[in-house]
Amino acid sequence: MGLVAAVRDMRTIKQLLTRAEAEARSDGQETPGPEHLLLAATALPDGTAARALERVGVDPGRLRTAIEAVHEDALASVGIEVEHGSGGAAALHGPATGAFRSTPQAQQVFQEAVALSKSTEPAGLRGAHVVAAAARLEYGTAARAFAVLGVDRGRLREAACAEAGVG
Amino acid sequence: MRVAEMHPLPGPEDPEAALAAVVALRRLAGRLESEAVGEAIAQGWTWAQVGEALGISAQAAHKKFASEVRARRG
Repeated sequence: MGLVAAVRDMRTIKQLLTRAEAEARSDGQETPGPEHLLLAATALPDGTAARALERVGVDPGRLRTAIEAVHEDALASVGIEVEHGSGGAAALHGPATGAFRSTPQAQQVFQEAVALSKSTEPAGLRGAHVVAAAARLEYGTAARAFAVLGVDRGRLREAACAEAGVG
Repeated sequence: MRVAEMHPLPGPEDPEAALAAVVALRRLAGRLESEAVGEAIAQGWTWAQVGEALGISAQAAHKKFASEVRARRG
């Protein structure tokens, strides 16, 4: 990877992680999980994450609603009804402080996305790499959100790899 | 928020659903905790009192919630 491409890649990574942190905080969480990385990936200007979801018949705008539904359904399973659209949480108002931290699963997704991006021509992280990596998770909020959306994770991973140009 | 009475919990035969409920309850507890601490400080509670009520030290309570409480006050 040349210098210009490397700088562009660093900019993409910064955009992804900053947005994931903001998504987590608006979701009342201090540390981003895979679902926040996914939401951040769909907002990247390359557009590949959104197109990967569209390839499996999912409107990318429904991802956020599906994540909220996961939490609302889980609370309903223990007899708690929360206002629709909140998932039971409320946004944090304070500023994010200190170094970037994320859940171990979000770290795993990010690391795999970066590894996939190196086997792509041209190299460089794109949103679809994050989708492909997140689709491998079997459990947790992201996996349950894919289930809510009726997405087969294997098909989504293939679609995301194709969209990202993974060789 | 509304809590149904004596709602059966997800059974051990479905740990995935039970664990998802744990995640959702943690999120809800975090929100409740943050809002309750903000209200307590607004009512004049000290960080020592907040810590005592939560079973943590005054320093831990301050470290965890002070910036959030300040931000919420605007």
